[in-house]
Amino acid sequence: MSERVAITGLGVVSPCGLKKETFWANLKRADSYIDEISRFDASNYPSRIAGQVHELDHYTHLSGRLIKKIDVFSHMALVASDQAIKDSNLDLDNVDKNQVGVFMGNALGGWLFAETELRDLYLEGREGISPYMASAWFPAAPQGQVTIYYGFKGYSKTIVADKASSALALWYASKTILEDKNEFVLAGGMEAPITPYALLCANSRGGLSKNNLTCKRAYRPYDLYRDGFVLAEGAGMTVLEKESHALRRNAPIYGFIKGIGFSSDGYHYNRYRPDSKNLEYAIEECLKDARWSKRNVHYICLDAEASEMGDYLETMALKNVFGKQIETISLSAPKSMYGNLLGAQTALDLISTIFSMKNSTVLPTINYQMSDPDCDLDYTPNKPVERQIDKALIIARGRGGINVVLAVEKE
Amino acid sequence: MALKEEVIGVICSTLDVSAEEVKEDQKLYDSIGVDSTEVVELVVTLKKHFDVPLGTDEVTKFSTPLEIIATIEKKKQ
Repeated sequence: MSERVAITGLGVVSPCGLKKETFWANLKRADSYIDEISRFDASNYPSRIAGQVHELDHYTHLSGRLIKKIDVFSHMALVASDQAIKDSNLDLDNVDKNQVGVFMGNALGGWLFAETELRDLYLEGREGISPYMASAWFPAAPQGQVTIYYGFKGYSKTIVADKASSALALWYASKTILEDKNEFVLAGGMEAPITPYALLCANSRGGLSKNNLTCKRAYRPYDLYRDGFVLAEGAGMTVLEKESHALRRNAPIYGFIKGIGFSSDGYHYNRYRPDSKNLEYAIEECLKDARWSKRNVHYICLDAEASEMGDYLETMALKNVFGKQIETISLSAPKSMYGNLLGAQTALDLISTIFSMKNSTVLPTINYQMSDPDCDLDYTPNKPVERQIDKALIIARGRGGINVVLAVEKE
Repeated sequence: MALKEEVIGVICSTLDVSAEEVKEDQKLYDSIGVDSTEVVELVVTLKKHFDVPLGTDEVTKFSTPLEIIATIEKKKQ
């Protein structure tokens, strides 16, 4: 039997919990963790609601000296990484750090630090800007901070591919394990888009729900009255290693990353191709890579953009790939509860899927009230459903059609 | 406040370290593991605080607090 990539550690910083146990317990309640943005005055933004992380400082293990040098997206990545390493029972004193890699995905970089310092640059001149700016804002900063913090020197990368960033990070990380380039990899993603400038960019790009008055019901994928997704911030990290390696050191094994399929729409910088063929190709390639038949899939964690076109195309792709079989597969978008973390989203989708497998529970898509004739599948509306899940797919779509599908199995 | 206490106070508040960690006769790199970016921040803060011209070639991570105090004292004269 060929070697598999085992997931042996989990770390979560999310709007619905800063530990994996809290994250899962809150998701099972099927509530919304979306609120009005309270960190700054967002009253003039068309979309001013988000899934926010409020208590990072209570959960941090970092010194004030380090925190002042980094953006919050690195801070969240370091906290989630620490949780994942501890969860995996990794003995860092007895690990070859040249064989530990770090693969992370995010879409935006660290704007809270950047916009504050750029303001000071224009107000005070060259010396008004913090010297830490140079290493705080850019998308690879969290990867750098984690490698420095732990002294990891293995093959590492940061992937920027909009909402597919951490999906690709998880896959490239898995490849380095299978190709013996790394013994362990810390893999996942982080995103911190709840800042004045990043929120402005996200609003300009479009696709966000403007349902500010009823924010708890705003993110309603596949519902007839959906009007876009809701932004969120956070980080999800995992520890990956070979199955045989995990068994030898008696590590907890949460599941396995079995395969990936990807494709690009090659159509427009921001819009999806108005048919679902490229997403279908990614799903088919993923099934081939995992060596699964369509009958084997029990659950699909959906991309759930909550746009008219995005949800329709995703539904079409699933129907075209699986045919009648799709009625036997559970579908849902747990992110409807806490928001969409853009480049970090797949990392959290992976962690919630792992818990769904472990607890034989399909998390729901909340806020589903009115069915749309164009999106007529069963998306597990509003309440969790008990079901054994052994094999699952996770769909991630970046803007302009970066289609990534991950295959995950329990045993 | 004596210049010595003032300089050490600026080092502590800028780098978020305690006065006990800063050894006046030890290089900043050896006592508190200061890195090159932190030195840039320290130089900018010292310049502003004491209103003296100061370059990153005059205060480095291998400077001791006593050497920094002497440099600032000289500049203030």
